[in-house]
Amino acid sequence: MKRRLFSRSVFLMPTVGLFCIGALSWQFEKRPIPVSANTPAAVNCLASSIEGSSKSCGTSYLNNNQPLIKLPSAPPPPSASVFLTTTDVEKIISQAVGEAQARGARGTIAIVDRVGNVLAVFRMTGASATFTINSGRGVTGGLEGIAILPDGFAAISKAITGAYLSSQGNAFSTRTASQIIQQNFNPGEISSPSGPLFGVQFSQFSCSDLMARQIDGSFGPKRSPLGLSADAGGLPLYKNGFLVGGIGVITDGLYSLDLNIQNFDFDIDELAAVAGTSGFSAPTDIRANRITADGRTLRYTDSDSLVSNPGASAPFASLPGSLVSVPGYVAATTSAGTGYGSPQSGIRPDTGTFASSNAYILVDAFNINRYPVTGGTDGLLTSIEVTQILRSGLDIANRARAQIRRPTGSAAEVTITIVDTQGEVLGLVRTPDAPIFGIDIALQKARTAAFFSNTNAATELNALPPANYLVPASSSSISAYVTQLQSFMNNPATLSNGIAYSNRAIGNITRPNFPDGVASAPTGPLSKPLSGWSPFNLGLQLDLSYNNLIASAVGSPIVGCTGLSKLRNGMQIFPGSFPIYRGNQLVGAIGVSGDGVDQDDMVSFLGLANAGKILGTGIANAPANIRADTLVPNGTGTRLRYVQCPQAPFNNSTAQNVCAGL
Amino acid sequence: MMKQASCQRLFLVTALLGGLNASYAIAQEATQSSSSDSKPSEAKNEDEIKLQRPQGKPLKYELPAIDPTKVAPPMAEVLRESIPVPDRWRIMEGLGIKQKNWDPYNQNVYKGDKPFEAFKKWGEDWFLNLGVISDSLLEARQLPTAVGAQSSNGAGSLDIFGQGQQSTINQNLIFSAAIIQGDTTFKPPNYEFRLVAALNVNRTQVEEVRATNIDPRRGRIRNDSHIAIQELFVDKHLRNVSDNYDFDSLRIGIQPFISDFRGFVFQDNALGVRLFGTRDSNRWQYNAAWFRRIEKDTNSGLNDITQALRRDDTFMFNVFRQDFPVPGHTLQLSVMHNINREGNQTYYNNNGFLERPAVMGDTRGHDYRVTYLGASGDGHFGRWNLTTSFYAALGRDDYHPLAQQATRIQAGFAAAELSRDFSWIRVRATAIAASGDKDPFDDKESGFDAILENPQIAGADTSFWIRQAVPLIGGGGVALSGRNGLLPSLRSSKDQGQSNFVNPGLTLVGIGADFNITPSLRVIGNISKLDFVNTSSLEVLRNQGNISTDIGVDMSAGLQYRPFVSQNVVLNASVAALLPGKGYKQLFDSGHGNTQYSVLFNLLMTF
Repeated sequence: MKRRLFSRSVFLMPTVGLFCIGALSWQFEKRPIPVSANTPAAVNCLASSIEGSSKSCGTSYLNNNQPLIKLPSAPPPPSASVFLTTTDVEKIISQAVGEAQARGARGTIAIVDRVGNVLAVFRMTGASATFTINSGRGVTGGLEGIAILPDGFAAISKAITGAYLSSQGNAFSTRTASQIIQQNFNPGEISSPSGPLFGVQFSQFSCSDLMARQIDGSFGPKRSPLGLSADAGGLPLYKNGFLVGGIGVITDGLYSLDLNIQNFDFDIDELAAVAGTSGFSAPTDIRANRITADGRTLRYTDSDSLVSNPGASAPFASLPGSLVSVPGYVAATTSAGTGYGSPQSGIRPDTGTFASSNAYILVDAFNINRYPVTGGTDGLLTSIEVTQILRSGLDIANRARAQIRRPTGSAAEVTITIVDTQGEVLGLVRTPDAPIFGIDIALQKARTAAFFSNTNAATELNALPPANYLVPASSSSISAYVTQLQSFMNNPATLSNGIAYSNRAIGNITRPNFPDGVASAPTGPLSKPLSGWSPFNLGLQLDLSYNNLIASAVGSPIVGCTGLSKLRNGMQIFPGSFPIYRGNQLVGAIGVSGDGVDQDDMVSFLGLANAGKILGTGIANAPANIRADTLVPNGTGTRLRYVQCPQAPFNNSTAQNVCAGL
Repeated sequence: MMKQASCQRLFLVTALLGGLNASYAIAQEATQSSSSDSKPSEAKNEDEIKLQRPQGKPLKYELPAIDPTKVAPPMAEVLRESIPVPDRWRIMEGLGIKQKNWDPYNQNVYKGDKPFEAFKKWGEDWFLNLGVISDSLLEARQLPTAVGAQSSNGAGSLDIFGQGQQSTINQNLIFSAAIIQGDTTFKPPNYEFRLVAALNVNRTQVEEVRATNIDPRRGRIRNDSHIAIQELFVDKHLRNVSDNYDFDSLRIGIQPFISDFRGFVFQDNALGVRLFGTRDSNRWQYNAAWFRRIEKDTNSGLNDITQALRRDDTFMFNVFRQDFPVPGHTLQLSVMHNINREGNQTYYNNNGFLERPAVMGDTRGHDYRVTYLGASGDGHFGRWNLTTSFYAALGRDDYHPLAQQATRIQAGFAAAELSRDFSWIRVRATAIAASGDKDPFDDKESGFDAILENPQIAGADTSFWIRQAVPLIGGGGVALSGRNGLLPSLRSSKDQGQSNFVNPGLTLVGIGADFNITPSLRVIGNISKLDFVNTSSLEVLRNQGNISTDIGVDMSAGLQYRPFVSQNVVLNASVAALLPGKGYKQLFDSGHGNTQYSVLFNLLMTF
C-alpha cells in the first residue's frame, strides 16, 4: 500500500507540473519532466489537486473549453520514440519460451507492435503447426471445428488483440476480450445483456479494405488473420510505460474462450505470455482488472504465478525451436517495431485540418493522409459538412468521461469516421491514444448503419450467396436472415422501408435472444439460436464475411469481406454509429469506436447533432419518427433502442442526459 | 430487539413490582379492617376474665349446652369466606362485567389478561395472547431510474437515466399468537411460545422497463405477495437469581433482536438462540446470542423460510448498565462477531437480479468475518436527552472483488443525537459519521457497513436518504444506499446482499424538532446535510473522476396522528426531498424537474 502510493506519487508529480504550468501535452511526448523540475507553484497546485480543491491550477483550455490534460496522474501520452527493438523481441520470446519449457509445454509465440506489424513468430520444437477452433459450447458451424490453419495465425491474432485493445490508459488482454463478447455480461450472469463489445472479434479482417498487409511495409494498422482473439494468452507489451505492442502464445492447440470467468484458470498460454511480458508488462493501475464497466472490473489475467525466472531467460540463439514465416504476415526473422505516432507506423498527428483538435490520422507510405476529408461520392454530403461532423465528434470525445481508461477522469479516446451512403470513407480521424482496434471498427460501424438504413438493404442481402461452412461442410443462407427479420417485425418491408438503424438497434436484433441476454426470450432474427450460437458462429455478422475470410486465410488475400461494396470490411454489431440524414434523406453515417459503447454512442450521436446545429445545412440525426426505437417487434412487447448516452457523460461537469430531446 | 425487549422486560418487572406493592397494600388494608372488626370477640375469648359482683363471690362462667340444631357460631381462626371464582383474574367477571372480545383495552382472554380455558388441561396459568396489526403503506417517490439496457418503455429514450417517478402500495397483515405460562402478575412467565405470521401484498409501478424485474418484457408494474414467519420461538424462564426477580431466560427460534438503541448495526428477525436476563434489581441486563439470518423475500423484505438459511452467523454479547454514569442514562457495551460464508454462492433475488456475489468488481464470491465493538448510550442528563453509538468494525475479508485480494477490515462509526424538550416542542441535533474507504484496490477496507441496519435517527424513514434505495450502477445491481438504511455501503441490497466495507462513508449533520400540537397530533421536521467521506470507491465503480463528497441536503416533514391517543390507530404521513449537492448531481440525473422526493402515507392499526 505504502509502496504503491509512493510509486504513484513519483509518477504523478511531474505531470502535475505540466498541468499546473499549462503546457500543451504534446510538447512532452518523450518523457515527463523530472521531479526536480517542479516549481513551488506546481507543488502547491499538486496539494490542492490532491485535496480535490477546485482552485485553478492554470489548466489549459482549447477554444472549446476542453482541458487538455484532465488529471494530474494521467499516464504519459503515446510516444513515437519508444518502440520494441529486435533485442527486446528476442528477450520477450526467450522469456515466454522459458516458462513454456518449465511447464513442459511447447508452443508458438508471436510478437507484434502497436499497429500490428508482426515482429517475429517463434515455434518451439515439437509445437503443433495447426490449432483447432472450439468455443466449448458444443456448437458446430461457423468457425467452430476448423483445424487446418497454421499456429502462427492464432499466435498473431492473440498478440494483435493484446496490442489493439490497449492504450496508454488501459491494458486489455485476450481474456478481457473473452469477457466482453459473450451472450451475457458477465458471462454466466443470468438475464444480463450481452458483453459490451459483442461481435468485436470479427474485425481487423485480412479481407478488410482498411487494414494494411505485409506488402504495405511498416504502415499500420495491420490486419489480423482471425480478427480479435478471446483465447487467453494474448497480452499487451509496454516499454517504460508506453504501449509498444503485444505478445500472443498458443501451446495447447486450442483457440477458444473462457466460458466460466468465476474461477481462476490455469492456462499455460497465458502464463507463457505473462513471462514474456516480464520487463514489458502493463502498468498495474491501467490493467483491465482496475477498469469497470457497469461496476464490474474486467479480467486481465487469471494467474501470473510463474515457475520460470524470466530475468534469467536463455539466450535467444539457444532456444529450442525457430523463427517461422507466416505467409502474408511475417518472414522467419525478427524485426523492430515502429514507434506509434511516427509516420512509419501509419498513424501520426494531423498537421492539417484537425491539428488544432490534436487528432491523429492514418497515413500511407508517402506520409499522405489515407482518408482526407472529402465530399460524398453520392454527392449527398459536402466536405465542409464532413469536416464539421468530425470536429464536433472530437470535441465531444475530448470532453467525454472515458469508461475504459485509468485514471478516472480521463477523456474518452476514439476513432471517428464518416461514410457516404455507398460506404465510401469521407474522413477518418482519431484522438491520439485511441486503441487501434477502433479504427477498423469505427468504419465497420459507420458502414453498417449506412447499409441497414438504406432502402436497398433487403435486396442487396437477398442477392448474396450463402456462407459455406467448412466444418461440417454446410451452408448458411443470408437471405434467410432477411426473411426472419421481416417476419420478426411483422413487416415485409423491413430493410427497405427507410427505418434509420443505429448500430445499437442492429445490435438488439443480432443477439441470440431478444431482448438481449434473456435466455427464455425469442431468438434474435439476425442471430443463430442460442443452442447453436457461439462467439465463433454467431449469425449474420460472421456469415456475411465467412467466405472471404476463409478464402483469405487459406489462399491469397481478397479485398472486401462481404461481397457488398457498402460493407467491404465486414459488419459490426455493437453500438457507436448513426446514419446521417438531411431531412428524411439518408446521406451517410458516422461511426465511432474506442471507448465504452455509450461513449461511442454519444460521440457519434451528439457530435452529429452538434455539427448539424453549427452547420445549419439540414444535416442531422434521423428524424425521431423513423428511428429504430419506434419499432416494437411483433409479439415481444419490447422496443429496440436507438442510442444510449452515458451517465455522467462529461468530465468536470454535473451534466446528465445530454442527448435528451435530440 | 434488545431495546424493545429490555423495555418490555423493564416494563414487565416494574408492572410486577407495582402490582406486588398494590396487592400488598390491599392485603394490609384488609388485615387492618378485619382486625378492628374482631377486637371485641378477641376480648371475650380471654381466658382469665374476672366477672364478679361487688362484694360477692365470683361467678363461674359455663358454656351453654350445644344445641346441634343451631347454626354453628363463627370461628375466629378460619379463613375469610369468599365467593368461589375460577381464578383471581375473573373477579371482574364475578362482579358482572362481561368481556368484549374485540376490546383490547379491558380484560380480554385473547389478550393474555386471563388464563385461557382451553389450555387448562395443561395445568394452571396458561394464557393466550392474540394480536393483529394492519400496516398499510402508500409511497410515491422520484429516484434515479435507468432506462432498460436492452429496451426502453418509450421511443426517444436516448440517455441512461429515464423517468424516475415510482409508486408503491404495500399491505401487511400481521397475526401474532403467544401462549404464555406463568404467574404473570407476580413474576416473569415461565414459558412463552410465540408465532408471528405476516401476509404481504405489494404493488410497484415505475416508468421504465427492467426496473422491477431484470426481464424487460415484464413491464413497468409488479404485483407480488408473500407469506412470512417473522417470529416463531419458545422462551424458557430458566431461573430467578434474586428476590427482585432478576432472572435468566432462554429464547430459541425466530425472534426479533436489535443491536443497540437505534438499530445501527443489526435489527432482524433471525433464527437464533438468545440467553438474556437481569442482575442487581434490573440495573444490569445482558444478552448472549447466536443468530443465523433467514433469507428475505425480495419485495416485501420479510422472512422467507421456504428458502435455505443464509450462511451468515452473528454471535453477540452485550450488557446494559442502567443509571450510568447518572440516573436516567443507560450505557450499553457490545461485541458482535459476524461470519459470512456465502462466497461460493450465486444467488439471484425474486426479480432476477444477482444479489450474491454483488455485481461489483470481478464478481467473484467472498467470505468475511467482522467483529463489531460497540459502546452506546441512551438517556438524559438533567433535561438534556442524549443517544450515542460508537462502533469499530474489525475483521478479514478473504477476497474483496475490487481489491481482488484478501483484505483487512478496519472501519468506524459514530452517531449522536442530543435533544431537549421545551414544553410541547422537542428539539434535536444529530451528528453521524461512518468511515469511508480510501483506496478500493489496497488491502484494507475502511468503509463502515452494518450487518443489517435499520436506523432510527435523523428522521429515519420520513427522510429521503434513509428511506430510499438509490441504484448506483446501471443495471440496478448495486445500490448507493439501501432502503431504510443510512450507510452508502454499495451492497446489492440491505436485506439480501453481503456487507461491503469498500464504500464512500457518510457524514450527516442535522437538526430536527417534534411538535406535540395536541395529544393526538405530532408534527416532525428534519433537515440534514449529507456528505460522503471519500468517493474513491464511487470513482472506480463509475469510472468517473473527481466526484464531490457533497450529497446534498435532506429535508423532511412528517405528521403523526393518533385519533384515539393510543398506539392502536396511528396515521403517519411524510414528505421528504433531497436537494442534491454536487456529488449527487455528478452521479445521477437530478435536475430539470427531477426533484428527488419521497412521500409516504402509512396507516397502522393494532388489535
